[in-house]
Amino acid sequence: MSTDVFLPQIARIEAVRDETPDTKTFALRFPAPQDSAAFRFHPGQFVELSVFGCGEAPFCIASSPTRPRTFETTIRRTGTLTDALHRLGPGEEVGIRGPFGNGFDVEAARGRDLLFVAGGIGLPPLRSLIWNVLDERESFQNVTILYGARTPVDLVYKDELKSWAATVGVDFHVTVDNATPGWTGSVGMVPVLFTKTTLRPETTLAYVCGPPIMIKFVVQDLFMRGFRDESVVSTLERMMQCGIGKCNHCAIGHRYVCRDGPVFNFKQIRELVE
Amino acid sequence: MQLPVLMIRKSDVGPWLATLIAKAEVIAPERGLCGEVTFSKIHSPEQVLWDFENPLWPPKQFVLPQTDPIVRIQRSGDGIEIAPIYDDRRRILFNVRPCDAKGIAFLTRMHEADPPDASYLRRAANLTVISLACNKPCPLGFCICSDSGPFLNGGQDIQLTDLGEKYLVEIGSEKGEAAVADAMHLFGAVSEDEKAQRKVLESEARQRFGEQTCHFGSAMRRISTRRVDDALWERMSDWCLGCGGCNFICPTCYCFSVKDRGGDGAWTRCRTWDSCQYAAFTLEASGHNPRAERRERMKRRFFHKVSAQYYVRDGMTGCVGCGRCIKVCLGATDMPAVVAAIRQRAWHEH
Repeated sequence: MSTDVFLPQIARIEAVRDETPDTKTFALRFPAPQDSAAFRFHPGQFVELSVFGCGEAPFCIASSPTRPRTFETTIRRTGTLTDALHRLGPGEEVGIRGPFGNGFDVEAARGRDLLFVAGGIGLPPLRSLIWNVLDERESFQNVTILYGARTPVDLVYKDELKSWAATVGVDFHVTVDNATPGWTGSVGMVPVLFTKTTLRPETTLAYVCGPPIMIKFVVQDLFMRGFRDESVVSTLERMMQCGIGKCNHCAIGHRYVCRDGPVFNFKQIRELVE
Repeated sequence: MQLPVLMIRKSDVGPWLATLIAKAEVIAPERGLCGEVTFSKIHSPEQVLWDFENPLWPPKQFVLPQTDPIVRIQRSGDGIEIAPIYDDRRRILFNVRPCDAKGIAFLTRMHEADPPDASYLRRAANLTVISLACNKPCPLGFCICSDSGPFLNGGQDIQLTDLGEKYLVEIGSEKGEAAVADAMHLFGAVSEDEKAQRKVLESEARQRFGEQTCHFGSAMRRISTRRVDDALWERMSDWCLGCGGCNFICPTCYCFSVKDRGGDGAWTRCRTWDSCQYAAFTLEASGHNPRAERRERMKRRFFHKVSAQYYVRDGMTGCVGCGRCIKVCLGATDMPAVVAAIRQRAWHEH
């Protein structure tokens, strides 16, 4: 990292993959070897990505630190900056500051059963941890992945979903809110998948990420099924502009989502006073 | 180390100021074209006001400009070049009031915190603050409630006190020493009587505060423990226009946004003042807004300024009692009014 906290490092787009009509995954790499060597991250951390001339915005790292050749971020086109980013292709340069935030506590997850519950574009931050777990599979117990999106076309990482479904030792289920012709899987919001799997509230760490309304219903359901506050983990979304706890956009009480988070368990979330 | 206390005759202040103007950009209160008082760069000692109403704009813009260029971005050939932008100009803030000196100390402490903000700190490192103690409190000031005036008792570079024929010069830092070094012949020793006179002036000034008070204690307890009813925030927020004026004129407000300006392959990344009172402050690209309601934004502002959680982090309340928010607020939700309403658990319609 540069000594100046506002100075981005140049990263080059290596590959771009379409996930849905409005979402792409960008694989990035630092051309400068020293930048590349210095960039070490945990699953759940984020970067401030600059599209020069448009500014910068926070995006979670969607790839696993166990696969360090490039790092990936999955981005929906939803405003000026993401619109400009979606027009960029391989070889073009963006700016990166980070990684920022606390990330998931991978060490605390070793030896535990893990339940991942994702909604829509909430899968990318969990994907980083999922691949980390699958690449070190023997350190973890049961792995369950539940994923829901509005329609089949909104599912991201479609090829990877198939591979998770086929992986021995991974209990994978997917649902959509609204089926389209050709969809033969589950229909309904993510909590419908709880009936399709075995939940083990005493031994499981649950990771929940998705739109606020989805998080609300999923965690309510988990608590009803016996999960404790400490064992339900989420990653909060706020407008994190500086990434270093200075600009105050992401403050909740005296905590900063960009520094103290974005990963919190629900005991911590309840203690966020404002 | 005991830093020196000196005195300077009023007739010698001009020559001293001339030495300062020769080596740095001197910013002082001066009379503007329409009679208003502003902090601006001065070119001659005569421009400096000594008896003045504190300007509506605090001097924070000289360490934290409203638009602050921080990174230069240049497309060159098929690559991008990036360089930080630093402002290393030497500046002296002259005749600022203790509240504003304290405001800058607050900002510096915040920007020093991990991770240090080089862009701010380089500017602050080149800044010397020479303040003028308030023998007479200003009508809307309540600095006495936040330990930011009417006199500073430590932490200053230099504090001047008007003793009638001369000024007492209390030097509190190496930067303060450097500011008198080139004009030592203008300064004299101070007598015990003069030191005693300063103490009397301070104590008299402390007695002269009027109706304007701001009892932070009980408001701090309630805000920090979430014991202010949402209904009260709701009622108060009806009187807030959400203009952000209180943020911009506040000596301790520092929230910012980052924007790229320019075009054609050359941009300047700028930090600009932002306001927690704007709905878009927390608006996310997804459309989700955690503080969509005005009452939530108002609650945020006062949590940041008055809560015990921030008091512990920053070592002081985020208010120096300058009274500017009282003057600028188009509604009635200035600091003393809100603190009083929280203490009394009732909002008095104005």
